[in-house]
Amino acid sequence: MADFNVSSRIDGDVNLIDVKGYLDAHTAPDLENEFNKLIERKRFKVVVNFSELNYISSAGLGVFMAYVETMREQSGDIKFSNLKDDVYSIFDLLGFPVLYEFYKEEKEAIQKFR
Amino acid sequence: MENAINKSTLRNLSALVDFGNLINSSLDTKFILNNLLLTCFGKFHTTKGLFATCYNNKLQFSISKGLGGNYKEEFPETEIDDYLNSTNLKEYLIKNKLVHSQEVYSANKLIGVLFLGERLSGDKYFDEDIKFLQTFLNITATALENSISITQLKEVNRNLDNKVHQLSSLFDLSKEFGGILEIPLVSKLLGFSIIGQLLVTKYAIIIFRDNKHEIIESRFDIEVLEQIITLLKAEDITKPVICNSKLNASQHLLFSMGIELIVPMQIKQKTKGLILLGRRNTGESFTKSDIEFVSSVGGLAIISIENSILFKETLEKQKLEKDLEIAKKIQRNLLPNKLPKMNNFEIAAFNNAAKQVGGDYYDAIKLADGRILIAIADVSGKGVQAALLMANLQAFLQAISKQNKELIEASNLLNDLVSENTSDGRFITFFWGILNDENLQFESVNMGHNPPLIIRNGEIIKLRIGGMLMGVMPTITPYKKETTQLVKNDLLILFTDGITEAMDEKQNEFSDEKLEELSLKLKSNSAENSLNKILNEVNKHTKGTEQSDDITCIVIKVK
Repeated sequence: MADFNVSSRIDGDVNLIDVKGYLDAHTAPDLENEFNKLIERKRFKVVVNFSELNYISSAGLGVFMAYVETMREQSGDIKFSNLKDDVYSIFDLLGFPVLYEFYKEEKEAIQKFR
Repeated sequence: MENAINKSTLRNLSALVDFGNLINSSLDTKFILNNLLLTCFGKFHTTKGLFATCYNNKLQFSISKGLGGNYKEEFPETEIDDYLNSTNLKEYLIKNKLVHSQEVYSANKLIGVLFLGERLSGDKYFDEDIKFLQTFLNITATALENSISITQLKEVNRNLDNKVHQLSSLFDLSKEFGGILEIPLVSKLLGFSIIGQLLVTKYAIIIFRDNKHEIIESRFDIEVLEQIITLLKAEDITKPVICNSKLNASQHLLFSMGIELIVPMQIKQKTKGLILLGRRNTGESFTKSDIEFVSSVGGLAIISIENSILFKETLEKQKLEKDLEIAKKIQRNLLPNKLPKMNNFEIAAFNNAAKQVGGDYYDAIKLADGRILIAIADVSGKGVQAALLMANLQAFLQAISKQNKELIEASNLLNDLVSENTSDGRFITFFWGILNDENLQFESVNMGHNPPLIIRNGEIIKLRIGGMLMGVMPTITPYKKETTQLVKNDLLILFTDGITEAMDEKQNEFSDEKLEELSLKLKSNSAENSLNKILNEVNKHTKGTEQSDDITCIVIKVK
């Protein structure tokens, strides 16, 4: 079974989520938990750093769709940064760039919240 | 004059060269068409233009400038062969004041049509204008065809990539659904996969079970959704439904609720659930490929859900059976595991419940004064309910047997206790008696039980004296007892109706007559042998059938 790891960091009022490995139907609930924790703590500004993510399936993408409205309703957002080309191409293919902001560097994404 | 014409020709030529250079350096259709329109605007002083491309033998809107209103949506898609006669297209051109049209060919193949608006000067398009435009379009044609091919190729590639991603997501899910999962987890993963693939945020998942529906996931207003499902006869949806305002009333209602797509989840063409999707956040409509994806993941999920339901049911059944096995052991322990030894009597007993647990009961208890209490009972009904009451009776009897009460008094008390603890017309047929090992007397009370038999010298004595069935009502009239003086070689047979009413394949009962007939033949047998003979005969009688009632039998022989 391919590995997946999700962890959280904090930069001021912005929460950084690092995702590593393979985000698929098996591991999507882990990411979901991370978002649930953030919502419990009322932290709605999220940057997801994809620098170590190798693959994302529809179930993984679905987690972002499931939480983006809640975050935006609370004046937050989910922004994406540091995507590898082939991972970005999946997002692009499905039309995510119309709905989400993508940044090369996590710093830029954090800055956008300020 | 000649000079002026030369100058104009030169200007035309250099415009052509510039344009040719520009567009041939690009493979971007938009860029080429944009420049085509702008160059035409500059050349002919018009402010309206539209280019339609041939795609799949149809003329499709590609780009336009200067048009107002819903010019893009209203453009009528027309068959290429017949576009000149299309009334829809004519009306569209008139409405948008596009007065001139010119075809673009590449290698004798029509690749598109350019439409231009009125010239600001009010002039018409003269022959020389048309000639210039033709040359101009000829230069454009190759570049345009190349770019269109590239664009189409890109689109094909993109669709292919999309399919590949859909397939890998399907594969991903099928791996995950392969294991036995809880229904909430299946529906969650199903939801994530669909909203991630199609970019929707509003969705609901409904399953049908035992003629009822169950909303297992909903991001719509649940109350409204409930109403709509009832209205919709959701089980009847066997094909995907795209909702829009043009459809029938109920679908219109769904559309107004924000539901745009309903996809049934089926097993063997039977709809077992529905996936409801809201609008796509990108504003695009659902394509055939999208619907196929939803159908496929839905199909996977519903199988997983069905498996999960079956698995749960099997587990519950297994657990229940395990519980019953335990109950069976407990009930066995309520019956005597060892029969008391006596100087003048041999005792043998047998009990077998038709189900794991039963309502028959017997006991043999040595009283404080050395006498032996013998009891046999049949609780009405079968299975767990009978077994509970049997356990209750056993507890009362064991307690009373320790109190040195006289048999009639004990009978009255036992009936009172049982009556207080039964309801719904339940009752017990009960017989008990006390064997005296010294004087061979047997005093007994029969409370509605099949009369035990005493076999003596080829005669049968039946022990009937007692009173009302046990457990029907508290004791009003005290029970009566009878005392029988037993003699050597007497055979005392106590049994429940499981013996006499044991059915053969043709539904014939073993019968009292047969038992009595058999009993008379037992004569010199020991208690153990007599019991075995009775049981053997019953087994012979019921061969090939399932035991229908609990069976209990006690045989006592006077030594």
